Amino acid sequence: MALQDDILLYRRQRMVLILMGLLFCVFFGRLLQLQFLYHEELGKKSEENSIRTIPKEPVRGYIFDRFGHLVVDNRPAFTVTVMPFEFDKKMIPSLAQLLSVDSEFVQERLKKGEAYSRFAPVKIQRDIDFKTLAQLEETHDRLPGVDVQVESKRAYVTAARASHILGYLKEVSEQQLRSLGPLYGPGDVVGSIGLEAEYEESLRGTKGAEFSLVNVRGQIAGSLDNGKHDLPPVDGRNVVLTMDFDLQAYAESLMADRRGAVVAIDPRDGGILAMVSKPDYDLSSFSGVTPPELWRQLNEDPSTPLFNRATLTRYPPGSTFKMISAIAALENNVVTPSWGITCGGAFRFGNKTFKDLHVHGRVDMLRAIQVSCNVYFYQLMLKVGLDNWADIAQQFGFGQITGADIAEESPGLLPTTSYMNKRYGEHGWTKGFIVSLGIGQGELGVTPLQMACYAMALGNKGEFHRPHAVLGIAGGNQTGALDTLLTDTRTLTLKPSTWSVVREGMRRVVMEPGGTGAMARVPGVKVAGKTGTAQNPHGPDHAWFVGFAPFDDPVIAIAVLVENVGFGGSFAAPIAGKCMERYMRNLGILESPPPSPVASVKRLASHPTAQN
Amino acid sequence: MFNYLKEYFDYRTLLPVIGLLVLGIVSVYSATFDARLPEIFYRQLTFAAIGMVVLLVLAFFPFKLLHLISYPAYGLSIILLVSVLLVGKTVSGSTSWFNLGAFRLQPSEIAKITTALALAAYLARTDVSLRSIKCFLIACAIVLFPVALIMLQPDMGTALVYLGMFFPVLYWGGATRFTLTTIIAPVIVAVASLFGTTPFLIAVLVVAIALYAMRENRVLAALVFSLTVLVGISVQFIYSGLKPYQQKRIATFLDPGADPLGAGYNILQSKVAIGSGGLLGKGFLKGTQTQLNFIPEQWTDFIFCVPGEEFGFVGAAAVLALFALVLYRGVAIAASVKNPYSSFLAIALTATLATHVFLNIGMSLGLLPVIGVPLPFLSYGGSALFAAMAIIGILMNLYAHRKEY
Repeated sequence: MALQDDILLYRRQRMVLILMGLLFCVFFGRLLQLQFLYHEELGKKSEENSIRTIPKEPVRGYIFDRFGHLVVDNRPAFTVTVMPFEFDKKMIPSLAQLLSVDSEFVQERLKKGEAYSRFAPVKIQRDIDFKTLAQLEETHDRLPGVDVQVESKRAYVTAARASHILGYLKEVSEQQLRSLGPLYGPGDVVGSIGLEAEYEESLRGTKGAEFSLVNVRGQIAGSLDNGKHDLPPVDGRNVVLTMDFDLQAYAESLMADRRGAVVAIDPRDGGILAMVSKPDYDLSSFSGVTPPELWRQLNEDPSTPLFNRATLTRYPPGSTFKMISAIAALENNVVTPSWGITCGGAFRFGNKTFKDLHVHGRVDMLRAIQVSCNVYFYQLMLKVGLDNWADIAQQFGFGQITGADIAEESPGLLPTTSYMNKRYGEHGWTKGFIVSLGIGQGELGVTPLQMACYAMALGNKGEFHRPHAVLGIAGGNQTGALDTLLTDTRTLTLKPSTWSVVREGMRRVVMEPGGTGAMARVPGVKVAGKTGTAQNPHGPDHAWFVGFAPFDDPVIAIAVLVENVGFGGSFAAPIAGKCMERYMRNLGILESPPPSPVASVKRLASHPTAQN
Repeated sequence: MFNYLKEYFDYRTLLPVIGLLVLGIVSVYSATFDARLPEIFYRQLTFAAIGMVVLLVLAFFPFKLLHLISYPAYGLSIILLVSVLLVGKTVSGSTSWFNLGAFRLQPSEIAKITTALALAAYLARTDVSLRSIKCFLIACAIVLFPVALIMLQPDMGTALVYLGMFFPVLYWGGATRFTLTTIIAPVIVAVASLFGTTPFLIAVLVVAIALYAMRENRVLAALVFSLTVLVGISVQFIYSGLKPYQQKRIATFLDPGADPLGAGYNILQSKVAIGSGGLLGKGFLKGTQTQLNFIPEQWTDFIFCVPGEEFGFVGAAAVLALFALVLYRGVAIAASVKNPYSSFLAIALTATLATHVFLNIGMSLGLLPVIGVPLPFLSYGGSALFAAMAIIGILMNLYAHRKEY
């Protein structure tokens, strides 16, 4: 066959070269597309392929009390994790059996974690015991992808429980995962309630990461660039409380087997010294895995141990509220302190009789406070009127939350004219409705925290600090200096004479013979206070006491509530007195030898981390 | 000396080949570096050395003798293909190897060259014209005989390479449009039928219009048309008769994204490797896709990812450019030789190389399905490398004797 036709051959050569050239152009175009246009996307894919990020958990911040004693410590806890794409799902039953949980539980956890990231370990079970750990180590080869990660869990190292104020951690919910963003992964814990929740951001620290190269079988082939990109975890910041955990433990012991609350505040800055709510619960049972039975038991307990009585109750304050009526009267010039009545043991208004506990005879304002004469305050309330009274109560912070760094807080209930109009209709209520408000009864609800603030303002002659439980947050580990939190202070401007009268009345309650609060006395210190006995339709009266000490320059203001026991003077006053005494001894204000400190506090002073 | 070189030694073809060979050795080193398979690298070095000897031997082989042994060589390779089916070694579902001690021989690689020799020898005969049906059918038979034997192994990729060689040769030989359509139409219809009934019908319609427009003998046109339709229909039957891994490859070709962890895995990982390389690549031995073995047996068919990932666009473009140079030289030689045998042989060998290059790189770039075709000069493997070096050696030989009739 002849091929000599040069022109034809030239055409064919050109055609072949054009075709090949076109194909090469397509390939070049594809190269440009992959290596420039899709470079970022494919580069990311290649990283996902080959770089395994192993999160490194930070140590959660420690919590110290105002004297530097360690309160909340960390202990190592072992968490079982599963790497989804290394794990053979056929092994779920064996793993479940090892962990003594249902297969469905493991499956569910794995599914959730996998949806989050296929290349991140999924936490299956937190805080396994040593026996399970040992068994896991033995069967490690049979369960590829299963690993144990060391995390920390909370340990409570004082004699105090402080359950409600410290709060606990809970596993982060799916909803939280979405809202909190990448700082948390499935299976992580997050402060759920109390200070753990309030100061979560400071306490949690920042997760670190270790980057490893993995081969196609998911085996670690080495570290990425010799760990150049690894991020060490940043431990959580330590939190220093305003609380005195010796006082806390002592107050808890005084409230043992009682229901009620104690709130003690440092009137100089609003720092909470102690906050007891009884009954309470053991926080250490929440530090690892909380058995569901325990949850159910705590939730169903009729004495509501999970309920923070210190900040959530709405009980009437009883006679402890009489200073409000007195101040309202004096500030509005309704009466002078010398105005008096004769108490015959009861007061008739309209067709209703308002009772008193005793026949007090002739009483003026000071005496009426000292002996807690109801008849005097019924009449005074009628003179003052609801608006004046509610205005003063509002100034003392009632009917609103205190804004303390404890999220769970009730505003209580403070009736005002508009409230009464709304509730009973504009003409549906009469003056008779407000008579009992004069002695802190009726439609009035307060929290022990509000009452402690009230005592603080009375002790400070008007200086009202926002209560808070945290003194400061350690500024990283380098300096040890505290970032102190800003305090918030307002001043109630009342006439000096008003302060003198009500404070003198409160001094007499405790210090003078015939005062109802004599059981709150502290040897060697002038104490002022007021007892209260709040009637309640469900059983015996609630006992109240509010007070502060020392009288002239108070270092502690306190509110005590004991539910269903009877007289405030008999049940609440002695607890308040003992607490004030204990705290003043701890401060060194009282000369006499201090009682031996709670044993655990002594032990803690030598704890290495307590020096932070 | 230099004048002699210029006149008789085709260094312009050899130099890009040496460039490709070096890039190939570097790539195989990298691809087997972390897999702890140093023997693969050393074997490839040995193959390259032997390949260079093969190249030089063929470059200086007596030209007349080459023409003379064309048919006997073809006959020998057919015998080898038959016997490999009887006593060969099976690798990943396909029987294509002879085990000769430490050395494994792949007869289909040799047959690529001997078929080109035989085809060129036949078409160069003065009494042969592609316009004669008889001659055309004989030419087809020369190609289809080894193809049938290779498809029995079965090795679809290599079989496809023969087709890639045959078509340009027919064009080069001045086959009519009708003849070319006869060859290409069944292939188009067969591929279209894999996509479904509608594409199949559209393809059949296009073929019918094309055949009608050429105004050829109606009986012949009808025959070609029915043959085409028959091929299209039987493809479905052949498809169901394929090995599962081949079915999967075809399914992946139709939709590579459908199964990224299964059959589409290789293509996806290959694209990731090349795309993540960017302009300059991740650096030698630093390609994570390569070093962490995300592409199985990368040193064989997916070797193109190595320069793509580790040397980026620069590396991949260099490979493409070197191949473009080699293929350009092949076509130029085919066009410049005086001897028809030389011209047919040059175009057949160049087309063989080109088919390998386009199928392999097209696959690595995710443009084509996974077809088990090695990349000449770069992929690991003795037989394939020897064949590629032999092709270059013969091209150089043809260049040296370009003025002989």
